[in-house]
Formats: sequence, C-alpha cells, structure tokens
Amino acid sequence: MKKQLIELRVNGETCELAVEPQRTLLEVLREDLGLTGAKEACGTGECGACTVLIDGKPILSCLRLAIEAQGWEITTIEGLANGEKLHPLQKAFIQYGAIQCGYCTSGMILNAKSILDENPKPSKEEILKGLEGNLCRCTGYNKIVEAIIEASKGVD
Amino acid sequence: MEELSFVGKSVPRKDGVEKATGKALYTVDMVLPGMLWGKILRSPYPHAKILNIDTSRAERLSGVKAVITGKDTLGIKHGFVETPRYPPDQYPLAMDRVRYIGEEVAAVAAIDEYVAEEALGLIKVDYEELPAVFDPEEAMRPDAPEIHPSHPKLKEPYKNVGGKTETGWGDMKKGFAESYLVREDRFEGQLRTHCYMEPQATLASFDLTGKLNVWTSSQGPFIKRAKLATTLGLPFSNVRVLKAYVGGAYGGKVDLFSHEFCASLLSIKARRPVKMVCTRQEVFEASRHGQPILVELKTGVRKDGTLIAQQVKVINNSGAYRGSGVVVIFLCWGFVMLCYRIPNLKYEGYSVYTNNPVRAPQRGHGAPNLRFAVESQMDTIAEELGIDPVEIRLKNARQKGDILPNEDSVRNCGLVECIERVARATQFKERYGKRKAQEGQRIRRGIGMGISSYMSGSLIYPNTSAAIVKLNDDGTVSLLTGALDIGQGAETILCQIVAEELGISMEDIRVVAADTETTPVDIGSWISGGTYVSGNAVKIAASDVRRQLFEVAAQELEANPEDLISKNREIFVKGSPGRSISFTQAVAASIAKRRGNPIIGQGHYRTMKEVPMHPSLATTKGRWSDNYAFDAQVAEVEVDMETGQVKLLKATTAHDCGFPINPLLVEGQIDGQVSMAQGHALWEEVLMNKGKTLTTSFLDYKIPCTKDMVESHYIDVITERYEKDIPYRTKEVGEGYVSGMVAAIANAVYDATGVRAKTLPILPEKILMGLKEKGNSPR
Repeated sequence: MKKQLIELRVNGETCELAVEPQRTLLEVLREDLGLTGAKEACGTGECGACTVLIDGKPILSCLRLAIEAQGWEITTIEGLANGEKLHPLQKAFIQYGAIQCGYCTSGMILNAKSILDENPKPSKEEILKGLEGNLCRCTGYNKIVEAIIEASKGVD
Repeated sequence: MEELSFVGKSVPRKDGVEKATGKALYTVDMVLPGMLWGKILRSPYPHAKILNIDTSRAERLSGVKAVITGKDTLGIKHGFVETPRYPPDQYPLAMDRVRYIGEEVAAVAAIDEYVAEEALGLIKVDYEELPAVFDPEEAMRPDAPEIHPSHPKLKEPYKNVGGKTETGWGDMKKGFAESYLVREDRFEGQLRTHCYMEPQATLASFDLTGKLNVWTSSQGPFIKRAKLATTLGLPFSNVRVLKAYVGGAYGGKVDLFSHEFCASLLSIKARRPVKMVCTRQEVFEASRHGQPILVELKTGVRKDGTLIAQQVKVINNSGAYRGSGVVVIFLCWGFVMLCYRIPNLKYEGYSVYTNNPVRAPQRGHGAPNLRFAVESQMDTIAEELGIDPVEIRLKNARQKGDILPNEDSVRNCGLVECIERVARATQFKERYGKRKAQEGQRIRRGIGMGISSYMSGSLIYPNTSAAIVKLNDDGTVSLLTGALDIGQGAETILCQIVAEELGISMEDIRVVAADTETTPVDIGSWISGGTYVSGNAVKIAASDVRRQLFEVAAQELEANPEDLISKNREIFVKGSPGRSISFTQAVAASIAKRRGNPIIGQGHYRTMKEVPMHPSLATTKGRWSDNYAFDAQVAEVEVDMETGQVKLLKATTAHDCGFPINPLLVEGQIDGQVSMAQGHALWEEVLMNKGKTLTTSFLDYKIPCTKDMVESHYIDVITERYEKDIPYRTKEVGEGYVSGMVAAIANAVYDATGVRAKTLPILPEKILMGLKEKGNSPR
C-alpha cells in the first residue's frame, strides 16, 4: 500500500515518518524508530507485552495503526527513566525480583505506571485488577505486585 | 565459618536495568543490514506422501530471494536423542513424507514479511493422504497405520513404539504377596504447553568467509551449534551461535527447530541475513508442546502404610517424531524411585509415535504428570488404611545415605524435614479431612500435600561447563561463560560467585556470555544443572585468579599468601590494615615480574566426573546426578460446590535446594512453578482434533493471569554449605516444584469435595460429574 507521511510524538520528541497505512503502531515503534522495548508476544491484543502509554493511558500498540496515533503523546518504556535516573517502578522491579525473562516487563511497568498515576496508593486488589491484561509466565506475578506496592510507597 | 558477602544473599539481577528500561535485545529485536524475512509453508495433513513440490511461481515473485524445500537440504536427520538405539528420525525440512499438521515443507526468504507470506501461497504441493493415528494406545495396535518402522530392538507386539524403557529392582511377586492392600489406578496427564512470551525466533547471517552467525531464542548455544552444523553439513567451527536475551523457554526451546535450520539455509542460499519469527498461532499449532503421559500404577502396602511394591507403566504420546519422548519415559522411572523407599519396583515406559506435533521437555519433563499419579494414589491408600497423609509420606520418605536403584547415592536429603516443616507451617493435620464438617456449605475448603524430587544436572552433550575470569588493568574483572540466562538469573548467580571469591562488587564484573566463538563451552540452561555445574566452573576460575593475585601480592607485601584477604579490589594482610596493594597494582606487578602474565583464571566442571557417559535410556543403568533436590508442597483450595470452580488460595513449598545462592531468585523460581502448576492442575490443556490444534491463542489456551495469583510461601531446608576453594553442591530449583504442587492441588480438591481426579486438568465439569456419580447433591 502507498505510504503516508505522518508525525508521531514519542517520548517527548516529534518524529516524521512515511508508513504504509496497514502498519501497526507497535511495528512502527519497533522497526522504524528502533524502540524495541515494546514487545509482540501474540499480535492480537491478548497479552499486554506491547503496552505503551497514550496521554498517560495504557493501550495495546499491536491493535492500533500508526496512522491513527498522530497527535497523541506516546510514552514507551525507553521514555520512562529520566536520563540515568530510573523511575521508582523500574527500580522496584529490579530490587524486588519482579523481572525474570523480562519479555513482559515493559508492558507491565507502563501499565503499573498508569495505575499509580491514577491512584498513588492502590490496594493489592486494585493492582491485580489493573494488570489483568498483562501476561507473565515466569513470576506468578507475586514479585511484580510486591514491587508495585513498594514503588507506590515512594510516590506521593 | 567464614562470612559470606554475596553468595547466599538476595542480590538483584545483573541484567535488571537493561530489562527494566527496554534496552535488552531479544532475538525478535535483532536487525542486520540487508536483512530478509523468512516464512515457512507447513503441512495441512496429519500424514501424507509428498508427491511433488512446485516452487517456480514463488521464485518468480518480485522480492523473493530464496526458496527451499527438502531437496535443497543434505537430507541429514536430527533428533533430541541421537544414540545407536535411537538414531535421529526427523528431517529439518520434510523430504517425501509429512507426519503431522504443521510439519515444515518449504521456506521462503523475501524482502519483507508480506512478500514472504504471499510467496508461500504460490508454492504448490501435491500430497497423497495416508491413514493417520492420534491416540497412543490406538497407535500401538498391530493394525494401526505405521508412522515409522519400529527399531529392530523394539520389535514388540506393539506398533509405532519409538522407544521403550524397562527396569526394576527387588521381587515384585514377593512384594505384592506380602501386601495388605494392593491398589491399581490409571491416571492421565494432559497435553500442555510452555507459553514462553517471546515466540520462537531466529536471525541467521551467513558471511563471505563461510561462517554462519546465528542468534536464536534458545536455552543454550552449544547444542544449537552442534545440531545446526550437523544438519547443514558445516564444520562446527563455521557455525557461531551468539547471545540474545531470551523471553522465556521452560524447556520448549531446547533441541533444533526447523525455523532455525531454514533461516540458516535461506541465508546461505541468499547470501543475506534472514530473520524468522513464528507467530503465536504457529507456536501453538506447530511448535513443540510438553509431554502428555498415561500412568498405570499398581501399588502394594503393608497395613501400617509401608510401601513394599510398585509397578508402573507409562505411555507417552511422543507425536510424529521421537523428540524428547524417549527421555521422558526414562525420567519417569526416576520420578518414581526418587521420592519413596520402595523395596520392589517394576517400571516400563513406552514412547509412542502418533500423527501429532512433536513434543519437547516442559519444566519437570514428565514429573508433574507422574507425581500427580503417584501422590494421588498415595492419598487414596492412606485413606483406605486410615493413616494421615503426612504420616504415610514420612514413613516412606527417601532419606540421606540411601543408595538408589541406579547406584546414585542420596548423599544428602532433606525430604523428611520438608514434610515435617510444611505440615507444621500449614497446620496440615488439624485442617485435613474436614469434609464432613463442611457438609451443606456451598464453598468448601481443602488441603493437600504432594512431594517430588528432581536431579541437579546430568550428563548430556556437551557434558561440561568451563569458564574464564580475566583481571583487567583497572582491577575489574571479565567473566567469560557459555551459560545462557533465560530469565532464571544465571548471569547474576555466576557473578555472585566471582564477587565472593575475589572480594569485589557485582558492578566490578562484566559478563560475556553464551557465544560459541568467544566463550567456553557450557551445558546449557535445560538440565537443571546450571548453578551446580556452570557455577562450580566459574568458582574454580575465580579462585584461580585469586590464587594468582595472592601469589603476586604476597611477594609485593612480603607476606604469606595464606595471610591475605581481598576486598573492594584491594588485597590486605590480615591484621595489618596498612599493608595492602590494589588489584591494579597487582596486575601491573604480575605483568612486570611474572613474564607478562596478566592474570587469567580458568575452570571447568563436570557432574559425576568419574562416570564416562549418560545412563542407558533403555535399561536406566548408570548414574544420573550428583545431587537431588527434594520438596514437599501443600496446596489450600476453595471449591464452589455448585459450579465446580476451584480456587488455589495458598501454596507452601518446603524445599531442600541444598544452599540457595540467591534466595530472591529461588523464590522467583518457586512462584513461577506454583503458577504453572496451578494452570496445569486446573485448566490448561492443548486441545486437538485429529492432529489439528484447536487452542491457537492465549484466549483459547488460558495461562494464569494476575487475577489467579496465588499466595506463595517458602520454607528453605538448607542441607549444603558454600565454602571458598571447594566445589559446592547446590541443588536444582528450576523444575521440581511444579510437580509436588500439581499433586497437592489434586489432593486438596479431593479433601474438599471427595472427588478424586484421575485426569488433568481438573475442570469444574469433572468435579460436578464426580459429585453426581457419588450421589451427592452439590450441597
């Protein structure tokens, strides 16, 4: 299909791109912008590994077309740390053993961020509900929830 | 005892920052200039002859750079096991016959995925369908269609037997004759699958020097190199397999896969890099799943619950090729004989070809289904004898010093302590058997126990791990290891060992890992021996560096090497804090005064070094492992008697893992296994109909999500020590804990409902049907 010229706002920067209209936001982030932190595990919106934030809200980037993402403020995992300074969630995930293979981690952390942004002191149940759509096969989720609770203690 | 600074501590993962910031590169993320995309054409039939393949239209499609079929290969077969009894039986690309739906028939490399996909549609394959068989017991009948001719040594009254293991000890006749009670039961495990989040993926790049470079989502590069080189007809040294981060494996990424072979051959043909990433649907439909086994179990006990005879028959549905089927029937013997002291045992295992996709190891490799059978029957026997489930297990539990039928010595065993402590921690005796008291309630509680044991590494290619530790000019250290971190934390543990031996921080260590060209050989992350075998190799290499450093420092400081200690990249004389030199100075001194020696340490380690090779898969004779891990687990469940829904509320794992090098990582392994056991016991199943996979997505094949999270508790039973300068004997923690928990859940469901599951998963309808059969109204 014929390419279209689009502008995306990703991690605070404006990127001009020529993309075929059928390509997903996930494909364009990964292949054209080299932001491979968002992962594809199913490609059909079932696992949450491709989660990115649009204006602070989590979306499944494998189900969105890149051309519809114009005008959105997109945050990927690469945009979360402030230079060398890790986001409290990133620190907590490392410290509390919430990462094993790491394939679901980007989506997990970004979704957790949106949970904490909305509700800085979520209960365990609220965290579990919020992360329902993010699959992890390594951890059984225990350490992930622990890390988010710990991170929430540092966020005011 | 000396105090430990790094080993035995919950040190955060070495790769944590890379993974938490999205910088870790997995195979799916890799890109090379000029890279092509590969796609595979698969068989739509479960069993057929290939009469003709016409690729001419695909080759003419603009953007297609290479097309391959079996004719472009050397026709060299491969197998998970390659022995005289079990020679390789699978072509990496089908030649003249396909034996399962999804078998690879042709492959294409093109400028992008869309063109590659379109090209697949232009390949014309003429098939002649053949009769197919899917059920292992049907496949064993003499009139079943033949999938492979039987191996001459396996000529049986049965057909399609791809492998057989037969063994035993003691006197069965006597054992059963002396039994007060003999029970016979049949249990069926289901087909389940790994669901690693990163799909199978490979990037292959054949360069102009004739070298093939491969990044692939795997469990160890050395086995991949061996199999790729063999099937492609290349010298081992012309194949380089390099590290990429791995998005989960759990057994499903060992062995050679067709997509790895095809990406490599397409790259050789096109002279360009070729990347292949399987879709999730392909992973479900054509990749390897776990091993479903049937278990027939006949057990004799004395009146007091002492086990005196056990006869076990295992039938494994191996799919269209052997895969790891002949290993699983061998291992199941181990999972029978390890846990309990039974004087008379008879075991036979059959691995049977069927027209289903091939099977791979999956975390526990047969143990979860086998232990489900044994532990379920154990509870039934206990109930019939009026003995408590804890007491019957304690009475029969394996103990330290026992000699196993395979002549392995159980030199160390904390099983009794595991059972006692997990029972105490969960108040098992007080809470078990309260079904009567809950009668009439819609929601009922149950508690159940399961135990299991697993080996800590065994002998299988490449049989050894080696390591190099280099001291750098600035006093930091580089560790070169062939080990591949698949998420379990291998690199972290190896660095903890280096840090401990040398007295440096984790940040002072750089790791170069899992590269067949630049790192030493390693057994791989798939035989549960990584921490033990590779860890000891690293320990020896690091202590070699320390010895050399101390020799130099002793000269410089005019002290005895025995009086030196190191900390923070400095070497001190004990008791005289003023007398010290830095690692940097020591390296410089070594180069100046020891003929340019820059201080490089090396180490290698092999499990059971006195044993020449792996045990016999046919007879089980020969030693298996230096050390066995044991566990006792308790599950607490809640059952809704009206819907049959089971909720796993709490899991408690008491485990003898020897000495936990990193307790945080050990806990992570336990949590993950509890979660897998939950899915395995209660709902996961790959559904198939006549060789066609019906569950092809995460919606059809549900794995536990956050809502299913289980409260997980741990009790460490520490039975080993870590000391400098001598090899340690840690035990495995990566596989054993699925098994005890699957059994514990099944027993807890029985405790709550009185319904004994004979098949897995224990779906709500099975519970409701069980209640109906018992004549119980739901409430």
